Amino acid sequence: MTLQDAPATADPAATDDIGWAVRLLAATPTHEHRDPELLRHWARTADAFGAALAPVACSARIVESDGGLAHGLLARYTSRPPTVELFTDTIALAERVVDARGWRAWYPAGSVRAAALAHEAVHAHLHHGPARAALKRALGHHALRLGRLRVPGHVAGAEEVAAHAYARTVCGLGRSPLLLTAALATEAGTGNLPSSARDARREN
Amino acid sequence: MGVVILLVMAAGVAAMLTRKLPTAFALVLLAVVIAFLSGAPLTGENSVLDTVLQEGAPALAATMVAIILGSWLGRLLDETGIAGTLVRKIVEFGGDRPTVVALGVLAVSALVGTVTGSAPAAMLAGIIGIPAMVAVGVPKVTAAGTVLMGIAVGVPFELPVWQFFSTALDLPVDTVRGFMVKLFPFALVAAVAYVVIENRRRGTEHAWSLKSVAAKPAPRRERLGDAPWYALLAPVVPLVLALGLEVAIIPSLLAGVVYALVTTTRPGEMNKRLLRTLYGGFEVAAPPLALFVAIGILLAAVKLPGAVEALEPLMKAVSPQNPVLFVLVFTLLVPLCLYRGPLNVFGLGAGIAGVLIATGIYPAVAVLGMATSYNQVFGVADPTSTQTVWAAQYAGVSPQQVMVRTLPYVWLVALGGMCVTAALYL
Repeated sequence: MTLQDAPATADPAATDDIGWAVRLLAATPTHEHRDPELLRHWARTADAFGAALAPVACSARIVESDGGLAHGLLARYTSRPPTVELFTDTIALAERVVDARGWRAWYPAGSVRAAALAHEAVHAHLHHGPARAALKRALGHHALRLGRLRVPGHVAGAEEVAAHAYARTVCGLGRSPLLLTAALATEAGTGNLPSSARDARREN
Repeated sequence: MGVVILLVMAAGVAAMLTRKLPTAFALVLLAVVIAFLSGAPLTGENSVLDTVLQEGAPALAATMVAIILGSWLGRLLDETGIAGTLVRKIVEFGGDRPTVVALGVLAVSALVGTVTGSAPAAMLAGIIGIPAMVAVGVPKVTAAGTVLMGIAVGVPFELPVWQFFSTALDLPVDTVRGFMVKLFPFALVAAVAYVVIENRRRGTEHAWSLKSVAAKPAPRRERLGDAPWYALLAPVVPLVLALGLEVAIIPSLLAGVVYALVTTTRPGEMNKRLLRTLYGGFEVAAPPLALFVAIGILLAAVKLPGAVEALEPLMKAVSPQNPVLFVLVFTLLVPLCLYRGPLNVFGLGAGIAGVLIATGIYPAVAVLGMATSYNQVFGVADPTSTQTVWAAQYAGVSPQQVMVRTLPYVWLVALGGMCVTAALYL
């Protein structure tokens, strides 16, 4: 039994960081039917890639606002214009969750905000620089193989795993922000992914 | 009496807008009231029971069969993994460039739109396509709009739609096909422009979302893997047959069903899969089937001699005959096909089209041009149409946001359609 298949436990900390990264990939569209071992390999690779990234400065404009809980967001990066939006209500909830669960040793006071900035800085870095191609090469996935011809394939969700691993490393967190995300999702009542809305049928 | 009939139609629109009555029920009620107001007897020739209800209900039977076959093929594309594979491959090839991924999903949506319509089409392309676009950085409103604009690119080649306009407007399928081919470039250019311009304007977006990890592992679906490359051609098969080889609509759709089946399914499993997807197709087709029964009834009512006689002078007075005025007036009236408005061709608009033809105000082919132009708007931007509601909600935005973003583009498509209509048929 893989961690991905393991039954949910009351303590999300029982699942390790790679296990949460596998779950993130498994919940990302295009990976619904992937072999869990392949997802685990990609999760490990993306995590290692993010953890090894040199520190990047966040040059985007930083905006703070509330309303994150309503949208199920902690932070958001938009490229036009380059802006990082930090949702203060979600960050505040995250700090409360850390205290309530006794995770302060893993997530020091103020580290959630720092992790959010680091996470979004990596998205900006990957968006504008050559690092994205390097991540693609590291993952080693091929969209097409024709004889010797190999066309590298994009692995959806890998950048997110890398961004979380980077935030964990540069902020000196004891555990991945993914663990905190999972706890927040449970706390905010958004733990389950939105339904496929297959039943959302109305007249024509 | 014509004014009274128009007032009744307005009341029907109000009932649909306010959701007091589902569209199909409102149309049937309208038809019966219009028939009585037109002086139709209860039974006999040109009567309420025998003509409007009995003959009207199955009038669009050929369209209904096409809808069922399209839904069946749609179910097969879903169950066999063909639609999913198409989207997955696009993300794998173009994931570094959100605009490329969006253009790919647009292409898949267009293919799906040629097979089936409404919410099932949006689901086929969008269930994987929308979150996949969001995952590579396409903003949510742009992602939802991309699927809808893509489906609208396919709509001019959606065979059940050809059948609908052919039967409803009493035109040969060849005529419908001829106009649709002319409408297609407008839909294509608008859709590509939407993807390129909106992605450029809005840029990419990455969010630290609380929904990115599930607290509980997602239930594993049966592992399908990728469909073989030659199976990915299944959505094109009906199109090639109907458009290229001029095969009739129903056999073309059946060929698509057979192709999708034999290219993906072991012989021993074929019967089971065929039946399962056929019954699933009925479930998907139920809402449009109910609507087409109602539209058939409404068309029968507005074509009654009494209704034509009552409405002709009024409609003639307000319908522009000058081609330039025709384009201007009917393009400005585009918003009336939104929110189940009176120009919605899958609602009262069908009745109005019937009146325009029955009274001889415009040639049937001009009414076809007008109706299909409005259909391009309704299918994308109407916040009450199921595909728009589904795509928006699934992307996590409101249908109104999608309407605001897409309306300028589809309005231009309607303008293009009206210009072609005026230039060729007035």
